[in-house]
Amino acid sequence: MSDLAGHVVLVTGGSRGIGRAIALELGAAGATVAVHYRSRAADAAEVVRRIVEQGSEARSFSANVANRAEAAAMVRAAGEWKGRLDGVVTSAGIYHGPALEEVGAEDWEEMFRTDVEGTFRTVQAARPFLDRSDRAAVVTVSSVLGSHAAVGGAPYQMAKAAIEQMTRALALELAPRIRVNSVAPGFIRTDINRTGHEDPAFHALVARSTPLKRWGDPEEVAPSVRFLLSREADWVTGTILGIDGGIALR
Amino acid sequence: MSAPTTPPPRVALVTGGSRGIGRAVALAFARNGADVAFSYRREPAAADETASAIRGLGRRVFYRASDAADATDAARFVEEAASELGRLDVVVPNAGIAPDTGWEEVAPETWTHLLSTLLVGPYATVRAATPHLRVSGGSVVLVASIAGFSAYPEELPYAAAKAGVISLARSLALALAPQVRVNAVAPGWVRTGMTRELYDDPRSRTAIERSTPRGRWGEPEDVAAAVIFLASDGARFITGETLVVDGGESLGWRVGRLR
Repeated sequence: MSDLAGHVVLVTGGSRGIGRAIALELGAAGATVAVHYRSRAADAAEVVRRIVEQGSEARSFSANVANRAEAAAMVRAAGEWKGRLDGVVTSAGIYHGPALEEVGAEDWEEMFRTDVEGTFRTVQAARPFLDRSDRAAVVTVSSVLGSHAAVGGAPYQMAKAAIEQMTRALALELAPRIRVNSVAPGFIRTDINRTGHEDPAFHALVARSTPLKRWGDPEEVAPSVRFLLSREADWVTGTILGIDGGIALR
Repeated sequence: MSAPTTPPPRVALVTGGSRGIGRAVALAFARNGADVAFSYRREPAAADETASAIRGLGRRVFYRASDAADATDAARFVEEAASELGRLDVVVPNAGIAPDTGWEEVAPETWTHLLSTLLVGPYATVRAATPHLRVSGGSVVLVASIAGFSAYPEELPYAAAKAGVISLARSLALALAPQVRVNAVAPGWVRTGMTRELYDDPRSRTAIERSTPRGRWGEPEDVAAAVIFLASDGARFITGETLVVDGGESLGWRVGRLR
């Protein structure tokens, strides 16, 4: 598997769910990991502890990425920690799936400020630190819902579509030195969609609809991020890699 | 219920494995601990060299000449490989040709030959390998091209056939799920025998460097790394995907900075 020894990587939303699995995977691959979290300090500390136990360096950084100044300050602190960033993974995000008439002003703003602007400001603030790396790569986190529609949660789907186009636009703008790619997970069992996978009927429906006949785990998203950050993916940029058990096939 | 982790591939089959991307894929699998079966079309010396490189890595190798355009022989090659090496974990139908056909006067025989090589052959290879892959819980990685979703009138039938390969990856992924995963890679401009003329001409070489956001041609190893990843346990929830490996070539317009 891809070796990340010597890489310094910031993972936003690293205290739980997919971000946590990514932080742990990168640590296991030898990376030094800056673990960002919003509110779960204990969970972030646990991720740091586990990475350190495996022999890599890690430290936690807190911010609400929906707040521009906080996001920028957090990224700056993470970048100044080792003086550069070789990788940034923007996994911080929220999810809710309200029907059209239920989408209030706050839902809308929270979604776009966290998922879309949070991702954008993170990369923007990281750029000077990525410029100091000779292997710089960004991996954003989209969703199968960024390119395939479902009923409910239109703002979430729109936010993920925005992240995909952000990925392509920034891949061009930051070329040739910084690569930018995205992973687009399908139905993955995490905290933020607990109401989905803990509902037996919905759980079964998704498993049935997924060609691989099951939900994915966060640990099944992390290796793709590891690959995309590594030198093995040196010629991969602007790509959206689906990790969805085939659910996007029809 | 999540899938148990799968061990690394033990036997990989690559068509068109003597040169270019196929050779890099064959060697990458060998380096990762797999025995390798590969076919080649017309350069036995290159095939011998690839075979001895695989042996040099301490792996077993089975190889012989087989034209991907001959679907019957493609299937026979799969059976021989499975029987020689005991099993099949990964199949990479990579053999390809890319004649400069243009678009205006493509003879029916040219179409037939291209589609036979780039579509029917890979289909026949995967079809023959399916029983073996079902047993091993293995996977397929097809070799498409960014020509499959961008415009290439200079090689119109090639581009159309590669679009077909992307389609093949999707339909086969659904057909063979959940036991067998099927994905594809879509390379951009990679430095191989197939592109030598373009690379050797400084004008076209530079033009392609400039049109590639990463600023360089791809190497066969760039593509091989993506194939190895898609065939690995780390990709066990990925199926039906086409992973673009093109240095950003297919991303969008390069009209300079928008104003």
